[in-house]
Parts: sequence; structure tokens; C-alpha cells
Amino acid sequence: MTSRRPPRTELTSSCEISITNNLSEIARVAALVDRFAADHNFSNELVVALQVSLDEVLNNIISYAYDDEGPHDIVVRLKIRCRNIEVSVSDDGKRFDPLTTLTPDFTSKPRVHGGVGLYFVRNLMDDVIYTRRDGVNHLQLMKRLKE
Amino acid sequence: MKLVVEETEGVTIVEAYGRLDSTTAKEFGDRLIALVQAGRCSLVIDLKNIAYISSAGFRALLIANRTTLERRGKLALCGVIGEVKRLFDIGNFNEEFLICPSQAEGIGKLRA
Repeated sequence: MTSRRPPRTELTSSCEISITNNLSEIARVAALVDRFAADHNFSNELVVALQVSLDEVLNNIISYAYDDEGPHDIVVRLKIRCRNIEVSVSDDGKRFDPLTTLTPDFTSKPRVHGGVGLYFVRNLMDDVIYTRRDGVNHLQLMKRLKE
Repeated sequence: MKLVVEETEGVTIVEAYGRLDSTTAKEFGDRLIALVQAGRCSLVIDLKNIAYISSAGFRALLIANRTTLERRGKLALCGVIGEVKRLFDIGNFNEEFLICPSQAEGIGKLRA
């Protein structure tokens, strides 16, 4: 008699947080990433990649995406799917594709500050996808989970 | 964020704990500048207990470094290890700072 394996269940897990466009709100996202990482035993390297990338993306949105003074919601979702961790960030700010930013000029003296944040994101994540739909920016950051 | 500040042989040692990101960078930078403005222009900043540094944190470090140099002082970093070292490498920040392997060597460089 052949023993039957139990049906394969895909490990899918996700969480979501909505913040307003205030720099002090980024700490709430960092706390959520910490909890999610602890629940799923993420490596320190992965936690750092996620935390630094989200810090850069959110700081950029909050600092530059809005022309008005009003409150705006930014939604961050974390999801594990098919051995990938997927992070999505949605905001209704100005159209901005972070993939179009140039590599910073590392040779300039004194060093200029601009540009290194999104350069970090592109280096720390395995894949970055930008789309704009119905006036909303959607940024997807992906990192493969190591076996 | 937690900073432990000590004075040894005329050099100020700052041990930083936690994360250097958008949430903590401003306070971190302000406290470093306050030290420099109070005349403590020989600074060793120990980063070994820092989990990660985002560009906001690097900006605070660059500004502190520049402010120290403007006051004819010196700033050294130590404890640049692990993930923090990787971020220094990715961001090409190694050339921007005097980086020493230990607090003792940082103190030695600043007293030289």
C-alpha cells in the first residue's frame, strides 16, 4: 500500500499596515517588519535588506511625493509566496519610478547626499517593479528566501 | 536611540545602539553636533551595536564628519562590521570616513 502524502499546502502568509505621510510613522512599519521577520525566522541579512529598503522608499515618498500639506495614506504589505518575500508599497503621490533614478556619483568631493537611498534599494532587493494604476504608485520589492 | 558617551585621553567615545534610520538619524546627528559644538572635536563613534544604517543615518554621519573637520577636529568610526560593513560597501562610504578596527586604534589615530 502506498502511503499518501498530505495535500501540499503552500505556506502563504501576509500582513498589511496603513500609515500617514509623516516620517514618525515609519517606525510603525519597522516594528511590523520585525514581528513578521520573527514569526518567519528571517535571517539578519534579510531583515536588514527589508528594513533599509522600506526606510528608503517610505522616506522618499513622505519627503517628496506630495505637493499639498494634507494627510495621505501609504499602504505597506508583506507577503511570503513561493519562497519569495514580496513587499508592496502604494501611495497616491506624484508619479515616481525609483528605477529611473541614476546611480549616485561616488567620485564627487564632497560627497553629495542624493540618490544613495534608492541605490540601496536596488542593491539589497532581488527585484523591484514599479507600476502606476489609477493615480496610485505601486512599488513591489522582492527578495528570494534562501533554503 | 541610546548613546553611551565617555571621555578617554582627551578623546570622546560614542557607543551607539540600535538602528540608524529615518526615525533615529536626526536625534543621533543632533547629539553628535552638540558634542562637537561643546568642544569635543575628537570623536570615535563605535557602531558595533548598530543593526543597520539607512541613507538618513549615513547623512547624519557625513554631516558630523564635516562639522568635526570644520572645527579642526577628527572623527573616527569603529565597529564597522557585519551588515553595517556591507551597507558601507554598497554605498561606497568607506573612503568618506576614517574607519578603524577598534576603539583603541581609533583613539590612537586621533591622538597621533
